[in-house]
Amino acid sequence: MNTTAHSGSKRRKKPMSLERKEELQGYLFVLPWIIGFLLFTAGPLLFSFYVSFTNYDFTSQMDFVGLRNYKYMFHGDPLFWVSLKNTLFYVVLMVPLTTFASIALASILNQKIPGIRVFRTIYYLPSVLSGVGVYMLWMELLSPDTGIVNLVLSWFGITGPGWMFDPNWTKPAIVMMKMWSVGGGMLMYLAALQGVPEQLYEAAEIDGAGSLRRFWHITMPLISPVIFFEVITTFISGFQIFQEGYVMSSDPTTPGSPMNSLLFFNLHMYLKAFKVFQMGYASAMAWFLFVVVLFITMINMWVSKYWVHYEGGDGR
Amino acid sequence: MKNAKKSLLVLSTVALSGSLLLTGCGSNGNNAQENQSANQTSNQASNQTGNAAATTTPEVKEKVTLDFWAHWGSTTRRPIIEKIVSDFNASQDHIHVNYSFQPFGEGWTKELAAVAAGNPPDVIIQDIFTVGQRAAKKQATNLSEYINQDPSIKDRFFPQLWDASLYNNEPYALPFNTDTRFLYYSKKAFQEAGLDPNSPPKTWDELLADAQKLDKLNGKRIERLGFYPDDWGLFLDNADGKLMMDKNGPNFNSPAKIDALNWVMSFNERLGKSNVDTFKATFGSKQNDPFVVGKLGMTIQTGTYFAQIKDFMNPDDIGYAPVPEMKAGSGNWTYGGGFVLEIPYGAKHPAESFEFMKYMTDVAAQKYWSQYLFDNVANQAAANDPELSTNNPVSKFATDNMKWTLVSPVPNNAPDYTSVSNPNIESALAGKTDAKTALDKAQSAVQDLMDSNK
Amino acid sequence: MSSATTGNARSYFESRRTGERIRKTIMFLLLAGAGLVFVVPFWWMISTSLKTMDDIMQYPPAFIPKHWHFQNYLETWTSIDFPRFTLNSLTIATIGVVGHVISNTFVAYGFAKIKFRGRNLMFSIVLSTMIIPGFVTLIPQYILFAKIHWVGTYLPLTVPGFFGNAFQIFLLRQFFLGIPNDLIEAAKIDGANHFYIWRRIMVPLAKPAVITIALTTFQGAWNDFLGPVIYLNKESTYTLQIALQMFKASSGLSQWHYLMAGSVIVLLPIVVMFFVFQKFFIEGMNISSGTKG
Repeated sequence: MNTTAHSGSKRRKKPMSLERKEELQGYLFVLPWIIGFLLFTAGPLLFSFYVSFTNYDFTSQMDFVGLRNYKYMFHGDPLFWVSLKNTLFYVVLMVPLTTFASIALASILNQKIPGIRVFRTIYYLPSVLSGVGVYMLWMELLSPDTGIVNLVLSWFGITGPGWMFDPNWTKPAIVMMKMWSVGGGMLMYLAALQGVPEQLYEAAEIDGAGSLRRFWHITMPLISPVIFFEVITTFISGFQIFQEGYVMSSDPTTPGSPMNSLLFFNLHMYLKAFKVFQMGYASAMAWFLFVVVLFITMINMWVSKYWVHYEGGDGR
Repeated sequence: MKNAKKSLLVLSTVALSGSLLLTGCGSNGNNAQENQSANQTSNQASNQTGNAAATTTPEVKEKVTLDFWAHWGSTTRRPIIEKIVSDFNASQDHIHVNYSFQPFGEGWTKELAAVAAGNPPDVIIQDIFTVGQRAAKKQATNLSEYINQDPSIKDRFFPQLWDASLYNNEPYALPFNTDTRFLYYSKKAFQEAGLDPNSPPKTWDELLADAQKLDKLNGKRIERLGFYPDDWGLFLDNADGKLMMDKNGPNFNSPAKIDALNWVMSFNERLGKSNVDTFKATFGSKQNDPFVVGKLGMTIQTGTYFAQIKDFMNPDDIGYAPVPEMKAGSGNWTYGGGFVLEIPYGAKHPAESFEFMKYMTDVAAQKYWSQYLFDNVANQAAANDPELSTNNPVSKFATDNMKWTLVSPVPNNAPDYTSVSNPNIESALAGKTDAKTALDKAQSAVQDLMDSNK
Repeated sequence: MSSATTGNARSYFESRRTGERIRKTIMFLLLAGAGLVFVVPFWWMISTSLKTMDDIMQYPPAFIPKHWHFQNYLETWTSIDFPRFTLNSLTIATIGVVGHVISNTFVAYGFAKIKFRGRNLMFSIVLSTMIIPGFVTLIPQYILFAKIHWVGTYLPLTVPGFFGNAFQIFLLRQFFLGIPNDLIEAAKIDGANHFYIWRRIMVPLAKPAVITIALTTFQGAWNDFLGPVIYLNKESTYTLQIALQMFKASSGLSQWHYLMAGSVIVLLPIVVMFFVFQKFFIEGMNISSGTKG
């Protein structure tokens, strides 16, 4: 009681200063990020933006060339559109599939089933494995003749495709590999599902709500902030795919093979930057993609107002 | 308020412990730096004394520490390079070389960053194909000054390797090791198929005929392949003894190369592309080798391959021969690559680094390397040392094969030419277009790329 | 309420319980079956790590090693300075976890629960920084760290973690936004300030998210390859991921048995950690405990 009266009187005395104090505290809380951004990120970012208007090659030159890099991107580079198409195809296929798979997996692994901790570990494991080793492993699994994927398909009477050797199947193969490692997304959803109070389910069950309805009306709204996070970050990381195309190409001397079907946007950019040293051009590509992804992210943000539910209000 | 104080206290404790941890690690790092700077100051000190003494005794030099980066880290390669380095360190008293392993590929990205930041290592092992690129981009140091003091150094090397180390006729690297590709065949399989194990194919026609005799097909499934020209580029190079891409530009669509691509394509037509892909994919992860496990009768591999497989199959069953000629008299052409020693641009001790590079490419070190790792080395005298043949029968053959080995840097304005040329050739191999169209397109695509990068 | 309805309710719940049991059995079998598919690659890793190079060269590859060559692990462990590299990786990862957990919960709280001018703009910048691929800023960042003499130390790998990470700020903000504002208002009325609410209410309430952050940070630092390669110069400071690359050959045959044994050793701590941390995870959040403070 005492405290409320006290703060009440304070509010009456200097209402502005309290708001000001709140605002100052807000800045204080985000200060570490501001400092870090200014120290470590802003410089290199601005630098790369400037560089996109130069012929920078890391070591010997950095002359201003105006819009030449951007012009070459749209009118000169034979592989620009190919690589953009590859990345878009991959993103459009991968984002919905992995989002769906990781939500489904998380809700299954959120139940009280014997050995659930072991199961969670097993399904999480693939996302722990990293790097080139995983890709080599998958090339083995996807081998048309001896690989386990086509073996399983043959049990159902399906003759599996040539996967990494068939330009039509290379990207679906990589999406499949990503589905295998949905454990990372699953973990986020699992964390979100832990926050859904059991009582809500029990109440709904007494009301006779079926499990689908319960999921749709109780679980979905409560985990929607995390779905939102996952969708945005999956989009962003999807657009950044490149190492898979490098390592899993059918001909190691031609990154992105067969038939440039794995020449992703960022792989093309990487090769331009670090094999040809056209860092000016690579930076222009990066900033072009930045605009594209930013646009998609903004649409996502805008649409999110209609489906993302924040228990604590939207913070406005 | 009390709570607030408490939480602040907790916060500051956490921050403090964090910063303590940080400084702990920082001091670790600093130790390394301190050591370095300690070295430097001692260098400077000795430098001063050296300078003071220089007027009287010019022999006394400062002790210089060199950082040497390479990607040799396996339990087989590492001991050899470390031995060579320590021999060098023991051989004189004014230079000390520190070897550090850098992962293959990423180590070069790191070098690029270090050159850009002005703190590169002193000596690095690099790729021979791209010397010119680094020379042009000021990533490697021009070695003319040091070579001119002892011009005979260039005679150490196989001529094509030396040529690949030049940019605008000035040297930017010293070749270290190389490779050459030639035909390996299974004598056992030859006997089985009724072929003479001592007469390997000499021309492409013979190669094809022998391959068909060695093939074991079970319906569509390939049980054993006699031969498959997986490295189609080698056959295009072999056809007219000219690389598809050399420092002057593309040569994709000569009549001989069109014939060669047609010949390569005939394998797919005969066996079925998807069957071949299936077969190739089986060994795609490179864990086991189709030749070693008897699934492939003949294969084209580097000289080192013999040493790698001799423990896994009977060495007496392994036959080897030059790459067959397209037609009698057209030449057993093949291609090679390798690694070179370079001084990154901006390195602090180029003179001392060159001393070390001279040692690395001299007979003793080169012979030691070849003796234990069965690699082809760049130094001709070392490569031709008869002693090498005693524990590696392929050694002399591989060295002789160097005369058929084409090595050329890639033009600076199209280092990524394969990304525009190869899809055309792949589409021919997939049966979607004919050889001439594919190679004409490859030629003009590469030419366009070079023009656009002028 | 009549006794008839309670009886109905009881039988309703009983039938539901048997239904539950059947459903759970089916779930169990499904999970176990699909789990096998997820485990196969790991078995391939383990079985390769136990083979001799001779066995690895066999075709078709044996699913179960002919000879269980356990000394591969000993040889791997002793052929390189494993304890040192483990300690190095552990140091970097632990500092990373501390830095990320403190800074990101702190910053995310500011973005989620305090109103200030320019907040939305700043948050958009946070999101924007995720979009630019890392290798575009790789070299300028290296030059920056070289200028302040941090190259060759662990500082470039650890210090930035103390200043927030866009992905994690975003994730935690999402979790914090899901926590009712009433809790904060109530605490404020009790005289708590934002530091107190952050530490005593928000972080405990978002425990699953915080543990997720800790786990992924540890895993990220543990698996990081390019960062340590670029910034560390002395071999004695190298991490496990760099050390593993030593078994890989640039051409020809890699030492697969050592590479796989090393990979299993490197993977093990993460597996154990995940298995153990789940316990805290499952406890979940308990809203009433938050208000008590």
